[in-house]
Amino acid sequence: MDKTFPVVLELDVPKHPRDIFSFTKAAMQQVMDCRDLDLATQRKIKMILIELVTNSIKHSGHSDSQIRLVIDEPSLTIQKKEKGVQIEFMSSEQQIPFEEIDKTIKISFSTENNHHVKTLDRYKFRFLDPFKEGLNIEHMPEHFGFYIITLASDSFVYQYDPEKKENHYIVNINT
Amino acid sequence: MKINKAVHGEVMVITIEEKEANLSNSEQFKTQVIQEIAAGRHRLIISFIHVEYLDSSFLGALVAILKALLPYEGRLILSGMNGDIVNLFELTRLDKIFVLKENTDLALKEF
Repeated sequence: MDKTFPVVLELDVPKHPRDIFSFTKAAMQQVMDCRDLDLATQRKIKMILIELVTNSIKHSGHSDSQIRLVIDEPSLTIQKKEKGVQIEFMSSEQQIPFEEIDKTIKISFSTENNHHVKTLDRYKFRFLDPFKEGLNIEHMPEHFGFYIITLASDSFVYQYDPEKKENHYIVNINT
Repeated sequence: MKINKAVHGEVMVITIEEKEANLSNSEQFKTQVIQEIAAGRHRLIISFIHVEYLDSSFLGALVAILKALLPYEGRLILSGMNGDIVNLFELTRLDKIFVLKENTDLALKEF
């Protein structure tokens, strides 16, 4: 393969669940045309794409979402951009815009769906390892999307742009 | 969701007959299985032999089914998953919560 890196792919997110798998397969093919990746990394990228798209279909209504894949060496970044209001937490010590920066807080998007995040600036946070407290079936969440992205990636950051009213999900994978 | 149900003694084997286990069918599948639990089926095998991929919504449905079995001290075994799906269970550490078997015959031997 003789490629100049980074290679940037811009993809429109499908709007129907029936298109998620074909979208992911096509995106993976484009990635593999650019770089040889081991099976474990391919699986991680697939999972992340599936969950980012599923999240958009579930929550963004009719607004358009775009995914940008930045294929570089030795890393790969998946960025999802979505118009709309910022993420809101069900219960939390803080909401966006955060008042305290560089602090680990617990947030939730629904009952039994807790995440530990680190605030990076007033409109930005990073998801932290979700399983520090161990697993227990009685308290097991039934919403795993962000957990999967966090576990499959080396860094998963959410950022809101209040001027453009855009949500950004930025996922990094070291390959 | 298109499923096939087969009874082997006290065990019901539910085979998912679709390639995609995702947001579009997870709620319906959960309802279908929870109805079986309410009807007295507490030993279940769910076969994923035809499923190509599974997403977080379907994982959530499986967790809900496992929770629904808890009051009955029931048992759930998942079988026939491909490498991508097993990898998803390992990543989320749900392989420590669910019993996964390569195929239905091996799953039946667990009961």
